[in-house]
Amino acid sequence: MAEILVERVAKSFGDKVAVKDVNLTIKDREFMVLLGPSGCGKTTLLRAIAGLGMADAGRIAIGGRDVTYQPPGQRNISMVFQSYAIFPHMTVRDNIGFGLKMNKVDKSTIRKRIEEAAELLHIEELLDRRPSAMSGGQRQRVAVARAIAMQAKVLLMDEPLSNLDALLRLEMRAELKRLLADVDATTVYVTHDQIEALSMGDRVAVMRDGEIQQCDAPNTVYESPTNRFVGSFIGNPPMNFLEGNIKRSNGQTAVEVAKHEFSLTPETQSLIHDLPGNKVTLGIRAENMETLLQPTPETVAVNVEVVEPLGAQNLLTVSVGGHRLKVSTHPTLEVATDQVLHIRFPANQIRWIDPTTNNVLYTP
Amino acid sequence: MFFLYPMYEGFVLTVYDDDALLPIRESPTLSGATVAKLPLGTELEINDRRSQEMVNAGSDDLITDQWFQVEGTGVDGSLLRGWVTEARIRVREEDASGQPLAGTVRPRLGEGADPLTKIHAEPNETSSVVGQLEQRATVTITQSAELEVWFLVQPADDMNSGAAAGWAPSSYLRVSEDASRGWVSGATSGEFTTKFIQRMVDDRFFGPALRTTLLLLVLIIPVQLVLALAMALVIHARIRLNSGFLYVFALPIGMSDLAAGILFFSIFTGNGLLNSALDGLGIIDGPFAFLTAETTGWILVAIVAAEVWRATSIMMVIIVAGLQAIPDETLEAAELFGANYFQRVRHIILPLLKPSIQVALILRTILALQVFAVVVALSGGDVVTVLANESFRQYADLRNTNVASAYALFILLLSVASAVFYLRSVRSEAEVRPT
Ligand SMILES: Nc1ncnc2c1ncn2[C@@H]1O[C@H](COP(=O)(O)OP(=O)(O)O)[C@@H](O)[C@H]1O
Ligand SMILES: [Mg+2]
Repeated sequence: MAEILVERVAKSFGDKVAVKDVNLTIKDREFMVLLGPSGCGKTTLLRAIAGLGMADAGRIAIGGRDVTYQPPGQRNISMVFQSYAIFPHMTVRDNIGFGLKMNKVDKSTIRKRIEEAAELLHIEELLDRRPSAMSGGQRQRVAVARAIAMQAKVLLMDEPLSNLDALLRLEMRAELKRLLADVDATTVYVTHDQIEALSMGDRVAVMRDGEIQQCDAPNTVYESPTNRFVGSFIGNPPMNFLEGNIKRSNGQTAVEVAKHEFSLTPETQSLIHDLPGNKVTLGIRAENMETLLQPTPETVAVNVEVVEPLGAQNLLTVSVGGHRLKVSTHPTLEVATDQVLHIRFPANQIRWIDPTTNNVLYTP
Repeated sequence: MFFLYPMYEGFVLTVYDDDALLPIRESPTLSGATVAKLPLGTELEINDRRSQEMVNAGSDDLITDQWFQVEGTGVDGSLLRGWVTEARIRVREEDASGQPLAGTVRPRLGEGADPLTKIHAEPNETSSVVGQLEQRATVTITQSAELEVWFLVQPADDMNSGAAAGWAPSSYLRVSEDASRGWVSGATSGEFTTKFIQRMVDDRFFGPALRTTLLLLVLIIPVQLVLALAMALVIHARIRLNSGFLYVFALPIGMSDLAAGILFFSIFTGNGLLNSALDGLGIIDGPFAFLTAETTGWILVAIVAAEVWRATSIMMVIIVAGLQAIPDETLEAAELFGANYFQRVRHIILPLLKPSIQVALILRTILALQVFAVVVALSGGDVVTVLANESFRQYADLRNTNVASAYALFILLLSVASAVFYLRSVRSEAEVRPT
């Protein structure tokens, strides 16, 4: 059992607060992804879990054992560093076996584990070579093999794919996912790549400015962001946001955007009615709007500005009443620039956001 | 060029004797072909003399002839103008400054002597004859010239008998009163020789100097390596005050070796710090003379102490630079995979430091081979002596540049040998480079 408990962990470098009071529980054998833009504190949080660079405050427990003051070597963890941190003076074999040797595992077991790890990562033929002449992809495999060979309860990875070129990254992403499924470890995986996060994680913790914004299963994070940041950070293209005016009249509340009035469902009525001020933000994903050539009472007329054919879909940039929206359409729908289209916003796809807190008020 | 030339010059000084031989020539000019080369001091028989244009004006042993340019009526009645040696003319008229203006041709005395005197086109006997003058003929003297005398010489001793005869300028010879015998007193031509090296090796200080130099090497280097590593690790550990440590450790670099020697002299001397301390602690009664001819062991201790104090930080700086080149993540990875501090030092830091340690060792060994001022300050330069001190002694006291150079070259040779030794023994596999 290796549940990871992070309680009110904080860390600053001088004036710069890197991690603010983070609470996070990672279940045994869960694959947790820490996702966020560069500089948001992912590495700092991961290092705190590893015990590299003491946290300023908070408590960390692994497998029910408080490890806050334990050195990394005693936490029963292993790690893939962003720079790989392979020992340049050792052969691949010695690199992979290093942790086992330090932990006084007997020689025959070490040999067996090295071979298993090498086989998993298809680097058997590199075992007796030194890492200096190796490609980035090969080094990455060595770093992963070294981490896996430890058979630690917790596996930490800091952007293991970010130093690879795009094609290799795609290939390794799938391979790593397959491989980690077989490894019985609680995994914390840091990345700034939302596709990596969504495709690999059991849960994704989205971070911003040292705080966790949302921690949920990938499709939840995608479908039901808890705030505007998560919606804008996840998804390609990011979620669209529109400013709406609240119209309150004789107990009925409606929202008007670009002269189009959105009628509200009973659940959202009261939520929006109670908002202070007259503004509300409406969020909707590009693929959740319906595009029609003919107007209906429910549609809004928009002007097509850019058409980007992406193969499986066409991505349109349209403008409506000073707003710009990204809309994806089926590639068979023929659209041209400057054409007028009609868009329907299905009520169950609209997220209502409080413009002052940027929190999502209601997700259908 | 700038870097190689002084070394070339040192090499030449060591193995080449600049003025060992005097070339003697087929004809009495510098362009004459060399017949033989005679070592300095060779006894000579002198068989002839000639006057030649001056090439060695101002030399000590220069012997000169005076020639006059004269005008007069020749035996054939024509007007002659040409050069004649001063010995054939009696000067009759001089100007106020003593410059000869006119004279008469001296008669030749004795049976069968040629009554006529030859006049040459140029002021030397080998030039063409332009005419002859009667004895007692009146001439005007228009010019005079000083000429160097060359001698036709032949080695006089038995060993060289039968050796070729040849011409040599007077300035390189010492000649007897009657100019019939002489010896080679100067030389213009060098030869390769091992005599300076021989002289160095035979020097009675060579053995002690070499022994002490190597002994100091063996005593100092291991101590310094261990100390420098420890100091570097302390600084690298990033504990608080580490910049303070760096300054304290690096301070002695700022002191010259002579100053360090004097400092340690004042510590070890009769009424110095060490004696006061030991006396104060009641360990000794009255001062103990550490630095005397009878206590060379203590002198060595003082030298080792001074050198360790002074030069350890040079190694440390190199090693710190090497440590800083090791990425933090590499060390963190080792820590994370369970290596404790000593295991990290042994398995990660030391192997990755190999190139730096190598550089530090080479540099430090070369510096130790040159140890000089500290030894002079602590021993006066003779009770305990080292190679560099001998080089200095040969140069400054004995004025023997060649032997001094031989010592210097010997130190260079030891330095190169030690560098090769380290490069081979502490070999860092070519691939080992922090990535
Ligand atoms: N060793 C450090 N010294 C000073 N500031 C640091 C250090 N490490 C990280 N930071 C700062 O802390 C913030 C979070 O860094 P990091 O955790 O590395 O972000 P991420 O991994 O998400 O890109 C950044 O603003 C970074 O500049
Ligand atoms: Mg990072």
